[in-house]
Amino acid sequence: MSEEIIEIREEAGEVQGGRRDFLKNLGIAGAAALVAGPVLAEAAAEPVSPDAGMTAAEMFQGHFVLMSDEEKKKAVARLEKRYTAKYKKKTVVSTVPPPEGVLFGYALDISKCTGCRRCVHACVTENNQSRHDPEIHWIQVMKLTKGNDSFAAENLGKGYPAKSKFGDYGVQVGGNAYTPLGGIGTHSAQNYYTQDEMVPSPDHYYVPVQCQQCEKPPCVKVCPVRATFRDEAGVILIDYNWCIGCRMCQLACPYGARRFNWGEPNLPAEEMNPKTHYFGNRPRMRGVMEKCTFCAQRTREGRNPACEEACPVGARRFGNLLDPESDVRKILDKKRVFRFKEEFGTYPKFFYYVG
Amino acid sequence: MVKEENSRRAFFKKAAAAVGIVAAAGYTKTLISKPSESAEDLKAKYANDAISQEQKLMQTPLVLMTDSEKKQMLDEMLNNYNKNKEPA
Repeated sequence: MSEEIIEIREEAGEVQGGRRDFLKNLGIAGAAALVAGPVLAEAAAEPVSPDAGMTAAEMFQGHFVLMSDEEKKKAVARLEKRYTAKYKKKTVVSTVPPPEGVLFGYALDISKCTGCRRCVHACVTENNQSRHDPEIHWIQVMKLTKGNDSFAAENLGKGYPAKSKFGDYGVQVGGNAYTPLGGIGTHSAQNYYTQDEMVPSPDHYYVPVQCQQCEKPPCVKVCPVRATFRDEAGVILIDYNWCIGCRMCQLACPYGARRFNWGEPNLPAEEMNPKTHYFGNRPRMRGVMEKCTFCAQRTREGRNPACEEACPVGARRFGNLLDPESDVRKILDKKRVFRFKEEFGTYPKFFYYVG
Repeated sequence: MVKEENSRRAFFKKAAAAVGIVAAAGYTKTLISKPSESAEDLKAKYANDAISQEQKLMQTPLVLMTDSEKKQMLDEMLNNYNKNKEPA
């Protein structure tokens, strides 16, 4: 069919466009939809904000540990720009590496803890946790009834680990299966005693629980994308941007120390701590896991964790397990040390002791 | 004479079709990616997490460590640290 004929037939209203035209239009529209669809949808889903342009770049970035220096710089710049715009204060996202020659450990004196929960609130403030709906706490303070404790002090120097086919470091927790040393029962524990309750109650112990920074962490083993990992200083961290939110780590953690952001965290701009670390307290997003990092933003710069500083009775001791003169090592050497019974051989680096 | 396929009307028709498809795609994506939970649903999920984590802790008594266990654990940690420091 010649063009002339088509024109004549179009004028007559006979041909509204051939199959080819239809397919051409469809192709153009399809391509446009493919290109613009997700962008427009994103804009429709979320309010227009200064960070709208940053989201896609962040979504497609790789694991921070595996990035080149250049990529790391770009990623950090993106985050700083976004946080600064969102919270309206100059935000710094540090990438300071862990210090050399350090293996962090923590010890908490159960006999001193008064259950005041100042550590909990210091942690929330320092680590930019969701303030309400929901209020996320990385530290839970358990209230245990006194009387559930029993120790066979004469057996303290005994117990074994015996050699086994797995080597000298087989599973061995508190005495042995036949003659346990005893401990403190947690079956009547309460985590959520009321805020206005007078503490300490004479009939109770208080045991704050947070990430135990296991030497052999089950959460790291189960992470399908290695978003959670152990750093050189022995602290378990999360790359929030790499986390896919599968919650396997939460299931694997025997200490219930991980918190999942089901919704968008609620962090008021005026309460946001702008001094952050990439693996530490930078604001998290919906659908990712978070937990205690021993305040990576502080401890990587030679400071103590916020909970340690906030404790009014000095029940908390933080230090370097490699240093025989550190408080934590001395406590391990001299004190009666407890840990949560854990049959999986996780080797937590958080100890409880009686001073 | 202006050909129908090059006319302004045809252009607008194509543009309208494209916008329609883009809008449909965007709406679909929004429906898929937007959280469907209400505030109550979210609250229930957070509460579920809290309860299960509390139960985990209840089943985990604090156990006193023997001296040998303390030593073994520390040795294990220090060995692990030194092993990781060795060049591969």
